[in-house]
Amino acid sequence: MSAYYLQLVVNGIVAGSVYAMFAVGLTMVYGVFKFINFSHGELITWGAYLGLMFSSPPFSLPIYLAAVPALGITVLLGLAQDWFIYRPLRQSNPVALLIASIGLSYFMRNAIRLIWGSDFQTFNLPAARGMSFGGIYITPVQVMMVSAAVVFLTILYLLFTRTILGKSLRAASDNMELADIMGISMTRVTITVWVLASLFAATGGILLAMDTNMDPMMGMASLIKAFAAVLIGGAGNVWGALLGGMFIGVAENLSVAVISPGYKDFISFALIFILLLVRPTGIFGIRGGVR
Amino acid sequence: MDYLYHILILIMIYSIFAISLNLELGFAGLYNFGHIAFFAIGAYTSALLSLGGMPIPLAVVLALVASGVAGAILARFTLGLSGDYFGIATLVFAEMIQLLLLNERDITRGPMGLPGIPRPAWMGSGHEGLIWFLAVAVIGTVLVFFLVRRISNAPFGRALKVVREDEFVAQALGKNTFILKTKAMVMGSVLAGFAGVLWAHYITYISPSDFTLNETIFVLLCVVVGGKGTNVGPLVGAFVIVFFGEFVRFLPIPSEFSRFVAPLQGMVYGALLIFMMLKRPQGLISESRR
Repeated sequence: MSAYYLQLVVNGIVAGSVYAMFAVGLTMVYGVFKFINFSHGELITWGAYLGLMFSSPPFSLPIYLAAVPALGITVLLGLAQDWFIYRPLRQSNPVALLIASIGLSYFMRNAIRLIWGSDFQTFNLPAARGMSFGGIYITPVQVMMVSAAVVFLTILYLLFTRTILGKSLRAASDNMELADIMGISMTRVTITVWVLASLFAATGGILLAMDTNMDPMMGMASLIKAFAAVLIGGAGNVWGALLGGMFIGVAENLSVAVISPGYKDFISFALIFILLLVRPTGIFGIRGGVR
Repeated sequence: MDYLYHILILIMIYSIFAISLNLELGFAGLYNFGHIAFFAIGAYTSALLSLGGMPIPLAVVLALVASGVAGAILARFTLGLSGDYFGIATLVFAEMIQLLLLNERDITRGPMGLPGIPRPAWMGSGHEGLIWFLAVAVIGTVLVFFLVRRISNAPFGRALKVVREDEFVAQALGKNTFILKTKAMVMGSVLAGFAGVLWAHYITYISPSDFTLNETIFVLLCVVVGGKGTNVGPLVGAFVIVFFGEFVRFLPIPSEFSRFVAPLQGMVYGALLIFMMLKRPQGLISESRR
């Protein structure tokens, strides 16, 4: 019986590491630009579907190679979002940004439906044998999900703490105008934030689709989880978002032991509600800022 | 000809829905991204009660009460939140309602939905029934329109706009902004519930997939395109958007391309929202600033 719970915790950590990658990107964008990017979910979906495109004919690349152009194009999409839509709206009402990002999310999701259809799709990977450790099963893809999260987030940590660029990112998220006045290049900060956010989203999307499957709604579902994770950590707090993602993943998977699986998503919804009411600054209580 | 009546009824229902969203979004500045939840609560309550044998007028009244109560509860929990957090909280609320409708199968029959929702017997059926329903929908829309117009011109409506522009100013002027916003949200929810009731008894079959984020985006588009914060805007928006949606059906599209129509339509709606924000955030009809 304890193996059952341990398995659920492992599943939770696997799911949580992907949620953490989504949440870190979402919270970075929030930290610097102070708006919730609804179309972050669609970067996840586009990453997965572009991976599908490059791994099927006429390209037929193995998925590891197909991921490279897929990530590249998703990063371009992320940069284009900002350049054509969010940048012109930055000075106007914050709600205009929110509505525009909802519109963009709807546009991008329907573009996926137009090109690839609405049905579930998979990468057609050869069935891999799950590895067993004392009764706990884990697949190679799931190992990759956790390792990708560890690698990416370590790089992010080094970037933030060891480089000037990371320092300017932190300064911008603390106070964008002040950072601008101090001579930090906002163009560089903007580009870095969108590149990182899109890269994390697309990588997570491809891994998630490798683990299960993909459909046009996958981004929306992941976005809500990522948002719950962001709130747990406190909006704008990157390390909080990381822990939040893990927490959501584990809580959600453990919940299957007690409630009907149909209500699995209810966990993150309820968490969002409770956190917004009780501690809108996040469990760690740090106000704003990538720290 | 019957098809024209059908479109008109849809326009009426969406007009009421858009007016109700505008009351919150346009007048009070409450960006409710889960407004479909109240439409769903109205539709399901009225459908379940009238399918259970309750007289339709009574079922309708109880459905409006249920929507209003749900609105009050959501207001109590979310009105302390600012801008985008409020938007997320309401969006999540709508997702939760959707999950409840899908999973409480003993009551809602889950994804199978509720067929055979009755219409009032005196309406008759077929062509005649359609005309009577249209008459009811038009009367309902006119009543809602004048009600909301009256509210928006009353001191209450002006106070709401002050809250929208600057909450601290409203507080400094001695207004209880929490109560003002709660009232706006309860009224908006009741009216959205009313639109849902009309929908349920008109279409006669409802299922959880009718009440998704897509519908919220659709009605948001009606308000944003028409002109938020105006009285006529939501009507114009509903007319333009529903008409466009139905007009697409008449285009001579070869059947092998028909699967592309719905996604393309979605892309147009999404692009339209972005375009409005970038180029004409006030909508087709702009709010007069006196």
